[in-house]
Amino acid sequence: MSDWEPKIVAFLCNWCSYGAADLAGVGRMEYPSNIRVVRIPCTGRMDPKFFMAALREGADGVWVSG
Amino acid sequence: MDPYNAGIVKRKSAYVEYPQAVPLKYCIDGDSCIFIQKGKCGACKKLCPTGAVDFDQEAQTEILQVGSLVLAPGFTPFDPSKFDNYQYSKLPNVVTSLEFERILSASGPTMGHVTRQSKDKNEPKKIAWFQCVGSRDMNKCDHSYCSSVCCMYAIKEAVIAKEHVGDDLDCAVFFMDIRTPGKDFERFYDNAREKHGIRFIRSRVHSVDPVLGTDDLEIRYVTESGEMITETFDMIVLSIGMETSPELIKLAKKLRIDLTEGNFCQTSSFEPVATSRKGIYVCGAFQGPKDIPQSVVDSSAAASAAGEILSTARNTLIQKKEVVPEVNVVNERPRIGVFVCHCGINIAGVVDVPAVAEYAGTLPYVEFATDNLYSCSQDTQDSMAKIIAEKGLNRVVVAACTPKTHEPLFQETLINAGLNKYLFEMANIRNQDSWVHKNNPELATKKAKDLIRMAVHKVALMAPLKEAELEIDQTAMIVGGGISGMAAARNLARQGYETHIIEKDTRLGGQARKIYRTASGDSVPEKLAGLINDIQKSKKIHVHLETEIKQVDGFVGNFETTLAVNGNEVILDHGVAVMATGASAYQPEEYNYGKDPRILTSLELDRKFIENDAALKDLSTAVFIQCVGSRERQRPYCSRVCCTHSVDNALELKQLNPEMNVFVLYRDLRTYGEREVLYKKAREAGVIFIRFSLENKPEVVCEGGKLAVRVIDHVIGRPVEIETDLISLATAILPNNVGKLANFFKVPLNEDGFFVERHAKLGPVEFATDGVFLCGMAHYPKPIDESIAQGQAAASRAVALLARETIFTSGTIAETDPILCSECGVCISVCPYSAPSFTEEGPFAGRARINPVLCKGCGLCVASCRSGAIHLKGFDNDQIFAQIFALSKAV
Amino acid sequence: MEHMGIEPDRLQFSWVSSAESTKFVKVVTEVTQAIKELGPNQNLVKTMPEVA
Repeated sequence: MSDWEPKIVAFLCNWCSYGAADLAGVGRMEYPSNIRVVRIPCTGRMDPKFFMAALREGADGVWVSG
Repeated sequence: MDPYNAGIVKRKSAYVEYPQAVPLKYCIDGDSCIFIQKGKCGACKKLCPTGAVDFDQEAQTEILQVGSLVLAPGFTPFDPSKFDNYQYSKLPNVVTSLEFERILSASGPTMGHVTRQSKDKNEPKKIAWFQCVGSRDMNKCDHSYCSSVCCMYAIKEAVIAKEHVGDDLDCAVFFMDIRTPGKDFERFYDNAREKHGIRFIRSRVHSVDPVLGTDDLEIRYVTESGEMITETFDMIVLSIGMETSPELIKLAKKLRIDLTEGNFCQTSSFEPVATSRKGIYVCGAFQGPKDIPQSVVDSSAAASAAGEILSTARNTLIQKKEVVPEVNVVNERPRIGVFVCHCGINIAGVVDVPAVAEYAGTLPYVEFATDNLYSCSQDTQDSMAKIIAEKGLNRVVVAACTPKTHEPLFQETLINAGLNKYLFEMANIRNQDSWVHKNNPELATKKAKDLIRMAVHKVALMAPLKEAELEIDQTAMIVGGGISGMAAARNLARQGYETHIIEKDTRLGGQARKIYRTASGDSVPEKLAGLINDIQKSKKIHVHLETEIKQVDGFVGNFETTLAVNGNEVILDHGVAVMATGASAYQPEEYNYGKDPRILTSLELDRKFIENDAALKDLSTAVFIQCVGSRERQRPYCSRVCCTHSVDNALELKQLNPEMNVFVLYRDLRTYGEREVLYKKAREAGVIFIRFSLENKPEVVCEGGKLAVRVIDHVIGRPVEIETDLISLATAILPNNVGKLANFFKVPLNEDGFFVERHAKLGPVEFATDGVFLCGMAHYPKPIDESIAQGQAAASRAVALLARETIFTSGTIAETDPILCSECGVCISVCPYSAPSFTEEGPFAGRARINPVLCKGCGLCVASCRSGAIHLKGFDNDQIFAQIFALSKAV
Repeated sequence: MEHMGIEPDRLQFSWVSSAESTKFVKVVTEVTQAIKELGPNQNLVKTMPEVA
């Protein structure tokens, strides 16, 4: 299990965190590659169904960021 | 040297200007390139895979035919190395404010970690700011003007430094007057002092000495009580001012435009962005030292002034684009094309792009997959359009950089290929993959595949979306017939638009009717009459006096406002609205106002000047009291104009009678920018300035015919009593009561009652609500020149909207399914943009519907709808689920 | 969530402005670490993949 890496679904607000993620790229900052980003128009769009679905589909964690 | 980082780090000869540069392209610094200087190297040319390096490029001269010219050359930061007393060039820990700005920046050379510039690179524990370096100083630099921005930025830097380093950091600001007359600035200053514990010391430090054997800095200064103090700091920030560069002075000569005493561009109060030469306009710090919001206002104003004289030529040089008819893809099986971008080596250097493209070809519904060196280049765009047509693709995925910058470009390609632009999705495999996982190519490739799979699954479910086209009513309504409202109206009319001014009073002019003259010496009654005459002469401007607004319906492009005139109601249709509702003077209760006719407000004194009151020159003493009702607990903002106004009036009295004793009692003298010249003149003319504090306010005594002011003199520290013949109170400026209007247009007010603009710095004349603009004192107290500039700027932003004639609503908006709607009204209560409402008639009366013009597509209502009746096009449940489900499918 | 047998920490929230790239990186790293410590998600996962 030592090399197990979690799979994380990230729901990022288009205007905030998604932009920050882009900027992190511009700055060539490094971070763990576990997240898979779903772009949403606003965190207001977030529905509990989404994270339930993500967990059911095998994600180990869900991160919502505005 | 890297100029972007204020020269504190070096950059290579091949460089990108700064990380957010648009276009994000490299260029070569000819001054340091070895090939250009010595003819050796040329490695970049050999290595560049696209052959983009061309050493043979030369500067070219182009001739442009233009009808008007806007100057926006900015300022040059003052170079403090000529001051030997601060030893800026010798001591590494004496830095300029611009250098410190880069040190604080997350994208700067230290990534926002505050460190000393000396070799130890220690985190400082004590930092001092010295204000007015290169400003308000005739001894060393000949700059008598105030640079306007330094007080505020020094406070900001101190607050941010404490945030970065921690609360233990000791910040001290050494100043002469704290000048924070901008919107919300005074609150920021109060918080810096009271909440953040930043020390403010009123003293001009003479010199800086190194502490032997360390890189620490020792300073000596005299406190207000006359005590000499020696203190050691780890770093000293010089708050440098603005100046006009010698090159710019030369350019001004060439253009034959006049400059001021301080070498800024000469303008007048009533034409704040016009230079002395017709057809040439100016904006930004070249017009006078100013901050970002004021520069943004000026730039819009200059654009509209330049546009005024060109309005007949509008649309004569444009080319119409050919529209490719849209292919109907409804009911077709998805045929997806995937284009994976190398982005040179930006992506391909980490991610195995050919393997990813090959993998993409195996995904469901993917008909075609390929990789491109640069997907955004024109030739790739053309070939993409060709492939879409040849292969009959009906959905497209581009795996490349970020949709935030490139989605519109690729959507354009789809439109050119006859596809609806919403049949598109991007996979972000650069900014959020190759750039951030460059040490882990394997995982980055895996992530790229995942992201593409998610995008493919989503795009398969995308449907063509329609953008509704709406006509914009080509009429403007301006609420308020004061100076700024009239300036906006005149500009709109000159640009060819029908304009209505709504004024509740019986005549035009607003507060300006009560003012004698502007800081630059213009007679207000005279100029105001000229402006009113322009308005009344214009056939395009319709003035509605004694009129109030009863009701506002509609939205951007199609407002329907109900006006009430003499009890009659009239409906006005308009496309845009400008809030120019102004402000008014505070009627004081303090300082015995009303108990003696010799106690006046500033505006009452102006009235005497306007009426040429002969008694004024016989006065033997006059006292001005500042901050009456401003910068107090209950009204914690600065009214911005009163210091300049009182100083100017004090000078006027001195001119009427040089023997008169004139006193100005103030807290901080805020004659910002070149208004400082008036302050200097007033002191030279013998006006006496006495400072008081909020705790020790002056006292007005009127007993048995005697009128006097008691105040503690800040120089001798003792109370003095001044017997006087006149007291002028510099009263605060209060916003008018516009709560109802704000409600009608759904625009916000701040806690002081002024309107809140879209963005404090970058959107100073518009609201977050589309089609509604603001200007003048409804925004914040301001002098006439700034009010006029803001009026012109509001007109400029309004014209930018009106000139489009039609607007397209976004396609990614929410839509209700009236069959499922349970009429609960939650969507109506949660929507920040008031887009949903109940349908009033028809088969679905009572059910919610969403106005596509108002909807911003945030999805709040979708998530809150308990009936599942709302769909967000482009981000609908099934599309997001498709992305989630795509994750679990193993590679 | 606990009711359904899911560790609440599997769902993380944060707020990052579009200018805060440094904070973004910090939060991603923290979120990843937090979830790593929880170990693989054993609950709610479909026991058999529907698609072979």
